[in-house]
Amino acid sequence: MKRAFAILLAAFAALYVVAQVTLEGASGALRWATDLNPARKVQAQRFTDAHPGIRVTVEPAGDEKLLAQCHAGTGPDLIDLHQEQQMHRMHRAGILMDLTPHADRMGFGLDDTYPALRDCLSIDGRQYRFPCNVTANCIIYNRRVLDDHGVAVPTNGWTWNDFVRTAKAIRDTPSASGDEHLPLAVPSAPWMLFDLLVGHGARFYSDDGLTCTLDAPPAVAAMTLYHDLMHVHRVLPTPAEAAAVSGEGGWGTQGVQWFSTQRTAMIVIGRWYTVQLPHYPDLIGRLGSVRLPRVPGRRSVAMANTRGPGINVNTDKPHEAMLFLRYLASEEYNRLIIEDGDSLPPNPKYARTGADLVNAVAPDPSFHQTFIDAMETARPLDFSPFVDGGLVHRWLRERLGQVENRIARPGEAMASLAAEVNQRIRRNLAERPDLRERFRRVTGREWTADWWKETDR
Amino acid sequence: MRRTFPIVRLIALSAVGVAVALPFVWMVSTSFKPRAEADEPRILPRRPTARNYPLLLNLAADPRTGRKLDLRFGRWYFNSLFIAFGITVLQVLTSAMAAYAFSRMRWRGRDTVFLLYLGTMMIPALVTMIPNYQIMTSLRLQNTYHGLILPAAFSAFGTFLLRQFMLSIPRALDEAAALDGAGHWQVFWEIAMPLARPGLIALAIITFLAAYQSFFWPLIMVNREALFPMSVGMLSLNNSYGRQTELIMAATVMNVVPLIIVFVMFQRFLVKGLMLGGVKG
Repeated sequence: MKRAFAILLAAFAALYVVAQVTLEGASGALRWATDLNPARKVQAQRFTDAHPGIRVTVEPAGDEKLLAQCHAGTGPDLIDLHQEQQMHRMHRAGILMDLTPHADRMGFGLDDTYPALRDCLSIDGRQYRFPCNVTANCIIYNRRVLDDHGVAVPTNGWTWNDFVRTAKAIRDTPSASGDEHLPLAVPSAPWMLFDLLVGHGARFYSDDGLTCTLDAPPAVAAMTLYHDLMHVHRVLPTPAEAAAVSGEGGWGTQGVQWFSTQRTAMIVIGRWYTVQLPHYPDLIGRLGSVRLPRVPGRRSVAMANTRGPGINVNTDKPHEAMLFLRYLASEEYNRLIIEDGDSLPPNPKYARTGADLVNAVAPDPSFHQTFIDAMETARPLDFSPFVDGGLVHRWLRERLGQVENRIARPGEAMASLAAEVNQRIRRNLAERPDLRERFRRVTGREWTADWWKETDR
Repeated sequence: MRRTFPIVRLIALSAVGVAVALPFVWMVSTSFKPRAEADEPRILPRRPTARNYPLLLNLAADPRTGRKLDLRFGRWYFNSLFIAFGITVLQVLTSAMAAYAFSRMRWRGRDTVFLLYLGTMMIPALVTMIPNYQIMTSLRLQNTYHGLILPAAFSAFGTFLLRQFMLSIPRALDEAAALDGAGHWQVFWEIAMPLARPGLIALAIITFLAAYQSFFWPLIMVNREALFPMSVGMLSLNNSYGRQTELIMAATVMNVVPLIIVFVMFQRFLVKGLMLGGVKG
């Protein structure tokens, strides 16, 4: 037995030596926490090419990991923040550097990106990140599938009623080829609901952030439309129907795959979809794009969103990290995003017209122009400092599931959501002095336990 | 019962067997599918291809894009095996020594200390994650193999399992060895360890499987790609551009091969070890 353990320990020691000897060093590099996408390495390498002596390593992100590392003082230098609420969470944890004093001077200020993103990049007027890429959803359609059903391609300015007519025609008209197609794919059901909410002019909160307004008529109308598309018009598959035709997951997870394999005629998605096109050469030349349908009497509005890094407040390479943000606003990086088809470039200077965005897989300028136009009217989701946005989104997804599965009616779901959010806002105020101070600032009066009764909310 | 309902039993067991095997079969078959078929709800590929494997191993470029994936799959594979092997060897050794002290040696407060030691099993691993991480950081073990191996080199569960084995060894053997002049060191290596072999192997299997699949600790502890185990490296295949299901499945097939080999080779010891370990309190 002693000999067996001696052999095992010797083998371990030998493997250890091999592992150490073959390990490449990466100390001193600028660390960028993002998704482990092979495209990130290319983007990082281009930065190094432009800034000899500054290496960038890419590492996986994740809130738990980032919080643990940053609090232990070993966090990455650059932290990709995928959604607005993630930025707020990291800011509250004291992890993000205030970029405001440096941003304009170094060329990555709020004026160097889209006006619609201002609220996505800043908190209380202070800038905390700069975009890597930018997105606002439109509808991409497959001309071959539409032709197969004898359906005309949609045009900008169409309404949701027009959309329903088009979708029903795809659903009900037999195709010339004999293939069956679903009208619409949605990569993410909650994101489609977000688009419907902003398209209906719904607000998440009152101006002071103290009251959730998701039970107001515009928000209920948005949820009702989602419900009707699925259960009344039957142009969106129910979760059960989607699960029946998917190899994995269910509705919402397979939209991209369905559209890419030409099983659906349309998809609600951003320009970033084109990054996939090299994998689906059959689609090249067949795709067109159109703005999201509008609510009658309103213009087409999509949700504005961005992924972008902030800088760790404890980084020992603040200058290098800021150079990286400047690189994100540079022509070199923006050209890379345009060529890859990875959404809209962060700096609108390089995306003035569709012709600026033409690349090998999508050579039609009008295809790209749609996304530029969508970004001009796009609006980010509302945020309230009095409640965790991630929590609210989780509750919203729960209500969406209830509506999809007909457990709750749209009005009931939104009313219970608003009630739950309002209750949490009151609880947060009761528990957190910093929020009570903010309450005093926004209302001009002192917080009391029954403040919400006095305001008749 | 057995004679009355053999067919029912057969059908029930077959149904359970199919239910258990189906995800595995789907995983293997999907690893041979092209991208366009990867998410289709069919078991067998229409156009089978083995291209996903050389693509993952950087042996070939993707014919559609002309690019290699730039994944360090071989390194991640090595890291997973090396880290799991190191943890297994060290954990079995330290657990055996602790188990010997708790079962064969008499010292004041032994059972109290053992209960406290056992009590650590009640604390969820996630609760101790951040303190452990801070300790590792203070010791400058972040981004090192040591940081991945050392925290798992000691185990309350392993100590408990082997203690149960050692308690079942007759104390007369120790006394006989002592009469012959053997000390604890000799009793440990010459008597306790050989007789606890089924338990040692059972613990080794359990530890290897757990260490090989470990995800969250390596995710936090290492940032350098060269140090990633397979579980973390595979995140590259599920990124913001979408999930590459066929590649994930090919990677998973390669990932589970060592686990299957270990399990098939030692499963009889595992069952025996766990049964023996559970009879003495």
